Amino acid sequence: MSTPTIEKEPASKVELPAGVGGGEIPSFDITLKVRRYNPEVSDEAHWDEWQLTMYGTDRVLDALHKVKWEHDGSVSFRRSCAHGVCGSDAMRINGRNRLACKTLLKDLDTSKPILVEPIKGLPVEKDLIVDMEPFFQSYREIMPFLITKGHEPTRERLQSAEDRERYDDTTKCILCAACTSSCPVFWTDGQYFGPAAIVNAHRFIFDSRDDAGDMRLEILNDKEGVWRCRTTFNCSEACPRGIQVTKAISEVKQAILTRKI
Amino acid sequence: MQVHKYDVVIVGAGGAGMRAAIESGQRARTAVLTKLYPTRSHTGAAQGGMCAALANVEEDNWEWHTFDTVKGGDYLVDQDAAEVMAKEAIDAVLDLEKMGLPFNRTPEGRIDQRRFGGHTRDHGKAPVRRSCYAADRTGHMILQTLYQNCVKHNVEFYNEYYVLDLLMVDQEVTENGVTRLQKRVAGVVSYDLASGELHVFQAKSVIFASGGVGKVYKTTSNAHTLTGDGMGIAFRRGIPLEDMEFFQFHPTGLAGLGILLSEAARGEGAILRNSEGERFMERYAPTIKDLAPRDIVARSMANEVREGRGSGPNKDYVLLDLTHLEPAHIDAKLPDITEFARTYLGVEPYTEPVPVFPTAHYAMGGIPTNIKAEVLQDNDTIVPGLYAAGEVACVSVHGSNRLGTNSLLDINVFGKRAGIYAAEYALTADFVDIPADPLADTVALLDTARSSEGGERVAQIRKELQDIMDANVQVFRTEETLLEALRVIDGLEERYKRISVQDKGKRFNLDLLEAVELGFLLDMAKVMTAAALHRKESRGGHFREDYPNRDDENFMTHSMAYKDPSAVETSGVRLETKPVIFTRYQPMERKY
Amino acid sequence: MAVPTVESPRSGRVSPGYSRTRSSRGNFEMGAWLFMRLSGVVLVVMIFVHLWTSLVAGDGISQVDFGFVAGKWASPIWQAWDLVLLWLAMLHGTNGVRTIINDYAEKNSTRMWLKGVLYTATVVIILLGTLVIFTFDPCPVIDGVAHVASYCPTA
Repeated sequence: MSTPTIEKEPASKVELPAGVGGGEIPSFDITLKVRRYNPEVSDEAHWDEWQLTMYGTDRVLDALHKVKWEHDGSVSFRRSCAHGVCGSDAMRINGRNRLACKTLLKDLDTSKPILVEPIKGLPVEKDLIVDMEPFFQSYREIMPFLITKGHEPTRERLQSAEDRERYDDTTKCILCAACTSSCPVFWTDGQYFGPAAIVNAHRFIFDSRDDAGDMRLEILNDKEGVWRCRTTFNCSEACPRGIQVTKAISEVKQAILTRKI
Repeated sequence: MQVHKYDVVIVGAGGAGMRAAIESGQRARTAVLTKLYPTRSHTGAAQGGMCAALANVEEDNWEWHTFDTVKGGDYLVDQDAAEVMAKEAIDAVLDLEKMGLPFNRTPEGRIDQRRFGGHTRDHGKAPVRRSCYAADRTGHMILQTLYQNCVKHNVEFYNEYYVLDLLMVDQEVTENGVTRLQKRVAGVVSYDLASGELHVFQAKSVIFASGGVGKVYKTTSNAHTLTGDGMGIAFRRGIPLEDMEFFQFHPTGLAGLGILLSEAARGEGAILRNSEGERFMERYAPTIKDLAPRDIVARSMANEVREGRGSGPNKDYVLLDLTHLEPAHIDAKLPDITEFARTYLGVEPYTEPVPVFPTAHYAMGGIPTNIKAEVLQDNDTIVPGLYAAGEVACVSVHGSNRLGTNSLLDINVFGKRAGIYAAEYALTADFVDIPADPLADTVALLDTARSSEGGERVAQIRKELQDIMDANVQVFRTEETLLEALRVIDGLEERYKRISVQDKGKRFNLDLLEAVELGFLLDMAKVMTAAALHRKESRGGHFREDYPNRDDENFMTHSMAYKDPSAVETSGVRLETKPVIFTRYQPMERKY
Repeated sequence: MAVPTVESPRSGRVSPGYSRTRSSRGNFEMGAWLFMRLSGVVLVVMIFVHLWTSLVAGDGISQVDFGFVAGKWASPIWQAWDLVLLWLAMLHGTNGVRTIINDYAEKNSTRMWLKGVLYTATVVIILLGTLVIFTFDPCPVIDGVAHVASYCPTA
């Protein structure tokens, strides 16, 4: 599908309905409970709690910032872009893996304390910061890059819009680890490749330009590969980019089966 | 103290850093140091596209692209650099495609292209479809693709290593009987966030690709981590900063939040309206209307609000109208940004216009470089072995106002050049000896922040800095507001000396990190304000209400800001000028 | 201010507990996965036929006794049917428990012990079951005493 040219010019002036663009922003009080852990101080983790006044468009990240900037500077968490595209601030919010910067406080039950913990299954280093290396190790193992055979064309490789669409969903991954750390199989011993690695393998396996799909399928045919998926859909539910992770994993399983049989 | 030795050390792992790493990693022993993880870099937030005159969908050529870039930058662009960028843009896009980037495709399977602000056919005749894109996630795809290729080439990353100092030595050089001081690069000092240990990286070449400085403003599309560290380090070490008065405000940030809604929205047909429902850009840029360059659109929006035609309860924003577009078309081409509007403002873009207001977006200025990405220590002397690329650098291809999509182009073209030239230099050069006690300044910096018990809070000072920058050094500027800003910043600097950091530990001490970052922000705010004060004209992103016209006679020059404690009136920033390079285009009036 | 020295979290790169031992490259897990799906479908059919013939058809549940079972197993079709049912159900169940052990046991040694018990039990049950299907005698004579049910031919 190419860009359609805009045929009709929009009107120079329109009547805007009243109240367009929202009204006053309400404020409300919340209780934020954060799971704290600092091995420099104690080997035991504990909960800290703060009462905060927040506003309608505030997100969990804003609440964490308010704590860090106004109450306790030692509260540690990663964050960068603050609008859900960099993947730094995946954490467990009320028991579910979410990006703190995409979770609006008003969408949570503010009558109860809001619980914030580090994502599960990866070693906690301090407060909400976990060691991401095992996660990236699995990512690297599935060869997450285009591999082609034959001569490079002088211009771009051709790819039909349909072929491009085939793997569109899995190109959205931001490697935040919300899916992998929501997977009960990964929690057990961290040996499972995990949804994120499979999603990124899927992105190349189903890319018509790539010639190494078989190698990736072979890697994921491991005892810690796709067959450990129990289709609990935790990963799909956790993905902040709306990727249908479980579906992608199933497609990889089917691809392995069709290749073998 | 741990010392690592590499041929090339790259500071920053965004688009420019990783593009450089792919080139230099295949030629020389390379390390990439980043204070984040590579995939967290803010390149990933870029949305709309990357322009290149591929002519896949309609007639186009790179010379028109050069012209648009020069005109868009209000003729303050170094035209040799703009030519290089526009010419190499085509290969830059094709390189990315070959690395695997999933561009949107035309029915014939070629890379699809769409319109973008300021990009025109045949020197301004009509908008042209030049921007190559992947939905509204082009930056995300570029960042992922570059990271994937770094994995492929086994690039060595030092994640969460925050570079705090650049090690340089001054050597006396005698040329033609004149003796001068020549800076030479020896390496960098880096702070391992995880352990709190300092590491020295000795290197023959150092490439700065550490990004921008958007966090000097309150309303910004920039990440929390964009605090001008690279610019600040260079500035403190005596490298000048070029054209720092020019900061781009992106017209369409989500009102109040600053989250970016891509120009691609307007490229796909969205338009801006004021509270009266009027498409006001028809008045400001009759030919290309909503697709005028960003500085013009941002100023027009601010003007509408100033004249009381703003929308909302406080009349402090305008509206981006997509309601005349087909929902299916919006979903296919602009899925992420409509999601932002829904998530953060609760507005349904299919049926309601979205509240938007200009948001601080991009620093046109930075560390001066030539077209080989070599850093300049004055108007024409390079620092051997020191390179810069991306937003941290000023080549200058953006002049006084960057065209949309040219930043993704900049990082790819000049990132690649930096990687190649840095590796080539490293293969022929020798290591420069690390100066005695290389950690002294860094230890002093950290200890001051860590042990001070003054009681001033980092967050409070930063907030006041951002407030004054938003109020006084934003779209409209006057001598009065700039002087006031400078005075406020001086006061904040005094208070900065009395900050206290609550976290006293070593492991992931992000409290300390924020304190150090604030130091860079204060420095950069000062440089930006002093440079804005110095430029008594209006050009591109810099609009002085007391000098509303462009003044080519006195100011057709780049500004060069040096750290100089003797320049008391401008808070220790000395300003000089540097000539603009012209090749084929003479300055004309900039009309759209 | 004394700060205790803690080891840099990055010093060991990937924590050793997470590194995979790259041993199994066969298709066993794929086979097991596929077997679960296929045997599951077959078992649903077989179990319901089994339940229907035993509990619904004829006189229903009251008809089930040694004689009823012997009558069924007089036919080689039912013998084969029940043999397949036994094997599929046992292997399906064992594989299910094996995955549960894999998912929930955190240490390799625990896993090994649990699986050892599981496999032993499976082998014993399958062998005993198979034996019974082929040697079932409704009127056995043990130590010269006939355990005579009402339906057995009187001596």
